[in-house]
Amino acid sequence: MMFKMTGIVKRFGGLTALDTVDFAVEHGEVMALVGDNGAGKSTLIKTMSGAHAPDEGTIEMMGKTVQFRSPQEAWESGIATIYQELALAGKMTVVDNIFLGREIKKPFLGIPFLDRQSMRAKTGKLLKELDVHVPSIDSWVESMSGGQRQGIAIARALNMDANLIIMDEPTAALAVAEVRKVLSFIKALREQGKSVVLISHNIQDVFEVSDRISVMRHGRCITVRETAKTDPQEIIGLITGAHEVRAAAS
Amino acid sequence: MATQADTRPALRFVSPTGSRELALLAAILVAGAYFTLASPYFLSVNNLVQTMRAGLELGIVSAGMTLVIIMGGIDVSVGGILAVSAIVIGKAYQAGLPVYIVSPLGLMAGTALGAVNGFVTTKLKVPPIIATLGSMYIFSAVMFLVIGGSWIAGLPATLSPLVNGWVGFVPAAAIVLFFVYGLMWIILRKLAFGNHIYAIGCDEQAARLVGINVDRTKIATYAMLGFLAGLAALLYVARMRNVEINIGTTIALEAIAATILGGTNIRGGVGSLLGTLLGVVFIRIMQNGLVLTGVSSLWETVIIGSLLIVVLTVDAVRNRNNPRAI
Repeated sequence: MMFKMTGIVKRFGGLTALDTVDFAVEHGEVMALVGDNGAGKSTLIKTMSGAHAPDEGTIEMMGKTVQFRSPQEAWESGIATIYQELALAGKMTVVDNIFLGREIKKPFLGIPFLDRQSMRAKTGKLLKELDVHVPSIDSWVESMSGGQRQGIAIARALNMDANLIIMDEPTAALAVAEVRKVLSFIKALREQGKSVVLISHNIQDVFEVSDRISVMRHGRCITVRETAKTDPQEIIGLITGAHEVRAAAS
Repeated sequence: MATQADTRPALRFVSPTGSRELALLAAILVAGAYFTLASPYFLSVNNLVQTMRAGLELGIVSAGMTLVIIMGGIDVSVGGILAVSAIVIGKAYQAGLPVYIVSPLGLMAGTALGAVNGFVTTKLKVPPIIATLGSMYIFSAVMFLVIGGSWIAGLPATLSPLVNGWVGFVPAAAIVLFFVYGLMWIILRKLAFGNHIYAIGCDEQAARLVGINVDRTKIATYAMLGFLAGLAALLYVARMRNVEINIGTTIALEAIAATILGGTNIRGGVGSLLGTLLGVVFIRIMQNGLVLTGVSSLWETVIIGSLLIVVLTVDAVRNRNNPRAI
């Protein structure tokens, strides 16, 4: 098991945002996380990524119990969250962004000079592995399309040795061709043995790339389905609670 | 979201396109040509070297100011840091301490005061303009309290060769400037530290997320500006051999003006040292040329002020669709 959360409870004052949630992701698995607005998806990924500390419950990463006090600590344990805002420095180059905080250095006379050659070479390799195409790795990230930026953010996560990559609505606000590209990034990550948590409102995207689907409703993880053994209608029913209505009626 | 591909390389020793540096260079040449025609004294070795010596402190402080502004900060208290450091140097000289004790004392005073600014803005979370405005008042009050409205005069000339000397045909002041800008360029462009300065200026949250120690980087950068203000104080004392009561009163705003004219974005993330150096040259040539041609120096401030507004307006219009850019 790559990542496991057990009995997670998160309260905000009188509101229980997460009510004993269990959530797990296997090695090399794409786990989709779906649910209506307010179902607790955001709170759950914030708990995974270190932005919130849970009130109860345990988190395990690669068999070890972990506690995150900040997003940085989650990054250090190999959990990278790619938010919609992406957290890239717009007025810096692709190379600078991918190696930000992880610069390769070549000491000369004891001074740790940047080794731009190695960083450029490694950037080229990372982007090639993911099949990300950018005009130039020396261009500002600001000048690139949403899909290209997703690719750069993922490449950075890989460069930071992330094993679990959480993607929050990666295909929202993207053009159709760009959506295809981002979905192919997710598949490429799975091929590399990385685990992905995909938060999306787009059921089509979820069915295209995910292995399993966790459905959240009212702060609970109500079910986990294998993507191959379910269909969009059933998932939408679970999200909206239609199954409860049907169950009550019968 | 970008609508068009922009493939310009980010050559950070100049601004992204180098256009600001070229424009400034052109402005310097035009102004220089005009002053040469208007005054027989302008284009003389003596005048130009004197102008450089007089502009040495501004040049040095502006290099540090560039790093701080790229980082998204600002420091309006550098004049106060310079003044307090100069008093430390003056008092240490008067106490009969040797130059190899006096110089580090001055540099340490500047560095410490810069670090205090950094500490207040990061740890106490006071916006830098307010924090440094506050420290500017405190530093000038300290200066008045210590020297009580009189000058410290008649200081020894041990360091004067640093400013007034020559190495062959090269004025020592030029070598000092070259070293300071070279060192700052290495820090900004060749070390990870410089990348972190740019990253903090671009997006502080993003910088934090990837594990950059934002607070430490900020304090170190403010301390570096303080160190350079201390160095400027040392060179000021070397040049003037006294400490006047109005020392450093205009240098902060001039350094900010030179940095902004040189293409550094006031909101951080973008900037170049070469642009700043050209900005300093431009400001000093305007001041010198207008004096030589008999124009009131007030006009120089009007010109620099108007140019600043033009530059900031052009930048704002060019980037009006981008809320993060100016």
